[in-house]
Amino acid sequence: MRAVLLIAVNFVREQRWPIFVLLLWVLLLAFLGLVTDIRHSRDDLLFLFKQVVAYVLVFSIFFGGSAIYNERRSRRILAVLAKAVGRSQYLAGLILGVTFASVIYCFSLGLTGSWTLGQAGFPVGRVWVFMVALIAACTLAGTIALTFSTFLNPFFAAGATAAVLALPALAAHAIAAGWAYLIPVYPIAVILMESSFEKAGVVPWFLVLWAVLETAMFWGLAARIFSRVDVVVAVD
Amino acid sequence: MAVVLEFEGLTKEYRSFSRRRRVRALDGFTVQVEAGEIFGFLGPNGAGKSTAIHLAMGFMCPSSGRGRILGAPFGHAPTRRRVGFLAENVALYHRRMGSLVRFYGALNGMSGPRLAKSVHQALATVGLLDQVGRNVSKFSRGMLQRVGIAQALVNDPELLILDEPTSALDPLARVAIRKLLLNLREAGKTIFLSSHLLSEVELICDRVAVLHRGKLVRLGRTDDLLQSGEQTEIVARGISGKTLEGAVFNNGLATLVVPSRKHRAALERLWDLGGEIVSVNPVRRTLEEIFLEVTADRESFGPKDKA
Repeated sequence: MRAVLLIAVNFVREQRWPIFVLLLWVLLLAFLGLVTDIRHSRDDLLFLFKQVVAYVLVFSIFFGGSAIYNERRSRRILAVLAKAVGRSQYLAGLILGVTFASVIYCFSLGLTGSWTLGQAGFPVGRVWVFMVALIAACTLAGTIALTFSTFLNPFFAAGATAAVLALPALAAHAIAAGWAYLIPVYPIAVILMESSFEKAGVVPWFLVLWAVLETAMFWGLAARIFSRVDVVVAVD
Repeated sequence: MAVVLEFEGLTKEYRSFSRRRRVRALDGFTVQVEAGEIFGFLGPNGAGKSTAIHLAMGFMCPSSGRGRILGAPFGHAPTRRRVGFLAENVALYHRRMGSLVRFYGALNGMSGPRLAKSVHQALATVGLLDQVGRNVSKFSRGMLQRVGIAQALVNDPELLILDEPTSALDPLARVAIRKLLLNLREAGKTIFLSSHLLSEVELICDRVAVLHRGKLVRLGRTDDLLQSGEQTEIVARGISGKTLEGAVFNNGLATLVVPSRKHRAALERLWDLGGEIVSVNPVRRTLEEIFLEVTADRESFGPKDKA
């Protein structure tokens, strides 16, 4: 478990600049709260908040999809896997790292969002619940991207992840609404995007639990694939 | 002697995505490395040395064959706690050196004062204690190589697998690493050393394997390999230059190289001429000569492609 934690912390450390750039969007939200007439820019504020939520989801896919590739390309993976670290532990560390990155981002967004949206007169009691749901969705999206990245380069891994995340949405429209829950990133994103904060939005907890369970399932799948991968061979 | 590293008929083929193009990097490779020895692993570029090492470390899956490291199958993660590994062209995270080596030690399950002591010891061994707070991104390649060796030593491994450990080092550092490897052998460690520096391998390795196009072409004790067994060098004094054909004269000593099967006759002739024998030794070849001999047939660089 300690090795997993070390790899996760190391991942965040290595991704500190992208995380920092992402945080600039949160700062922009705070800046708007400070310099604008907040009560007259409520819609703009809400739009920006939701935009930032979408960014964190997309960045989680990029983080997950490029983690193994970067490590293999730089050959830094060799010194790590030469230690008493199993491949499944290594992947668990990367998934935890993506989760940590999401937590940092969602915590900042939660703080800034609570303050700015609260100032604008929105009832913000549910912001932190939404952030928990967003973390679960980000972790699952990042894990799916990581699974694909065990055998694809980041570009195709991101594309494959987008397809997998979009499929339940398409199925929900084409077949039955229940299909949306197949991979719960889409329904969580919809709830967040459609929330107006005028009335307290509800995130069904089963979606969060389902996302956690699927994260574990995709981790298992990724570990199974990655155990057969030659890590010193280029992925391009 | 216990076997600590064992390759048993290992074959590794690389295939293109379409599987139409295949490269056999390692072909039925069988070698046993015994406890307490320094084992030299030689071969030209593309011979399959790194492939064999990567298979042993579990970075790759073999196409066929099997191997064991410290009694466990290749790829067994907990066993790697007892192994130190240095990759060719070592790549490390850019952080302060002390923290970096601690990180690698912690990945091996070490913690607390034991880890702190091991980090201190490993850095002292490679002579970098005074640089402990510096970020490795500012290090020269030679210094990075030493950090790489430190991270391989931090867990006090029973078996060290080193892929070109002295490739980026200056002569002084190379001598230091050579001494270090000899000290580690004295301490009972086993060292599996891949190197292009033949003179170094010749100096420190107990046994040597030469790999060529994925196949093992020579294996044996270094001393046995270096003695040709075909020629003998006889040094004598008290012989005049005119009386002995084929000898080289220097400082009053005559040196004569004869086929080993004829050395008795040569000795008798020297005695007949009134010479005094100073030494009789089998001619020692260099590892470079052996290396060139066993790899002389190569027509191109690297392993052959198989369509």
